[in-house]
Amino acid sequence: MASIASVKPASASVSRASTTTSPSSLGKGIRLAVFYLLLLVILLVFITPYLFSAFAAFKTLPDILAQSPARPPMHPTLENFKTIFTQYDFGRYLLNTLLVTIILTTGQVLFSMLGAFAFARMDFPGREGLFWMYLATLMVPNVVTLVPLYVMFAHSGLLNTYWAIFLPYVLGVPASVFLMRQYFMTIPKEVMEAARLDGCSESRILWRIVVPISRPIIITATLLAVVFGWNNFLWPLIVTNSNSLQVLSVATANFNSNFGVQWNLILAASLVALIPMVILFAIFQKHIVRSISLTGINR
Amino acid sequence: MSVAAATTVIGKRRATRVASNPDRRRRVRTAFLFLTPSLIGVVLFLVIPVIFVMVLSLTRWNLLTPIKWVGFSNYANIFRFDGFGHSLLVTAYYVVLNIPFQTVLALGLALLLNNKRTGSAFIRIICVLPFLATPVAMGVVWNWFFSPTGIINQILAHVGITGPAWLSDQATAMPVIAFASIWQYAGYNMLFFLAGLQAIPLSLYEAASIDGGTKIQQFRRVTLPLLRPALLFVLVTTVIGSFQVFDTVYVMTAGGPGNATKVANLNIYNTAFAGFRIGEASAMSVVLFLIILVITVAQFRYFNKRTTYEIG
Repeated sequence: MASIASVKPASASVSRASTTTSPSSLGKGIRLAVFYLLLLVILLVFITPYLFSAFAAFKTLPDILAQSPARPPMHPTLENFKTIFTQYDFGRYLLNTLLVTIILTTGQVLFSMLGAFAFARMDFPGREGLFWMYLATLMVPNVVTLVPLYVMFAHSGLLNTYWAIFLPYVLGVPASVFLMRQYFMTIPKEVMEAARLDGCSESRILWRIVVPISRPIIITATLLAVVFGWNNFLWPLIVTNSNSLQVLSVATANFNSNFGVQWNLILAASLVALIPMVILFAIFQKHIVRSISLTGINR
Repeated sequence: MSVAAATTVIGKRRATRVASNPDRRRRVRTAFLFLTPSLIGVVLFLVIPVIFVMVLSLTRWNLLTPIKWVGFSNYANIFRFDGFGHSLLVTAYYVVLNIPFQTVLALGLALLLNNKRTGSAFIRIICVLPFLATPVAMGVVWNWFFSPTGIINQILAHVGITGPAWLSDQATAMPVIAFASIWQYAGYNMLFFLAGLQAIPLSLYEAASIDGGTKIQQFRRVTLPLLRPALLFVLVTTVIGSFQVFDTVYVMTAGGPGNATKVANLNIYNTAFAGFRIGEASAMSVVLFLIILVITVAQFRYFNKRTTYEIG
């Protein structure tokens, strides 16, 4: 940004001096070159960590230590992945994470949507007050509920279960409720009134009218829940300690502290955690970019 | 108007209400049915814990022995014995390193990529990719990049500089962690600025250029003021997130070297789940909560004041 602003006056004077036929073409050319140079830098900065760790995950440890990280593996080996999937239980961690993420996402999106619909388009006593309560809890940082939630889970004997990992997020979260409620509010009331007069039940209205119209926001809520579920670390870290219940983030962190400099293994493990999100991104990138914008300013 | 007319109106209304009563009651029941799961979630996992943490902060408890009431002494002890003051300073340092760079970078990316040139759309998408990266896994990758013999120091060696042992050096550990966060979230925040930029009517820029405004003046007088809602959103959410930083720190330094990166959330984690001192950890959570709350409210106040000032 700063560089573009500073390049501009300079290039303008150069172009004026150089040609008379097309006064600004050279300046434009320079600006364009700077622009694409910046794009290249951005691309490298954001892609390199993925690329180099992917290279390293297919190299042997001596190769990683001896070669430049920028060099693709000459003799790609699957040995690292074989080790983490057979000697260590990464297949299990992968499945745990997948299971937890699917349950968390399904529940969170479904229940938040139901709540959002009730707030947006249904009349019931106490609606305003309850909505304010949801809004207030939106402001509560995760770290505040960490200790009391742990105590509550410890006392209900839920520590070290799958339930513990997803339960706090599966019943719907205020952010998701709020997001969808705002969207549902934009659907004209008359549409639903008409359906009601025709004898449509509330759940039919929700499934047949609201859900199809609101696909973008539902996809947004789903993606945010998936990313959260997959990447969540601190909560699974404290509520699980048995090896068989670990999710990928926790397993990777443990692996990192146990095998500090065995870069071949810990980078392969990291890649297992990173790649599914990259694939998700590759498939849904247009949706992701569009839908994140939906979550922001429109609030 | 006659009394008779009024009574007929009331009578009519009552009649319709009676007619729709079972219908309405059924609808209210459905509404609560829809609301119940998320209501249980919000009350059980947010409202009750917030109250509970305040109660716990007044106790001494290790989960096993009976709870002992100690009043407000935890609030003094966490600063006297647990280095929570230091943790807050370290956290503030992280926030100060993180927020300005991340925000400026996000805004810069948005300004750079807010056009229809070939490649812009692709790079916009690439910028968002790190947002999905598992912070723990990315922390491992950064550990490798910034290890004493890692690529960063290899590059520095090429130009004749002996790089520090980034993550085991008190001076560089926190900046590296801040860098990891900036890398992860700058592109994500860019999207909010992009949305803000696209909401600015082009006519404003045309008016400005007719009045002879330079590009820089246009940026300062048109773009920045109109981006204020986007800026507020980005600042509020990143500040709240930054004060709770944990994953990256846990993986990259675990609070070291010394206590140089022992952020508040890490101190809470250690106190609660390594020391099992629930009371002290709860007091820390409450203090951190209040700090985040005060800063968030201050941000809203500041932005509101500035906005009304502009309009008035």
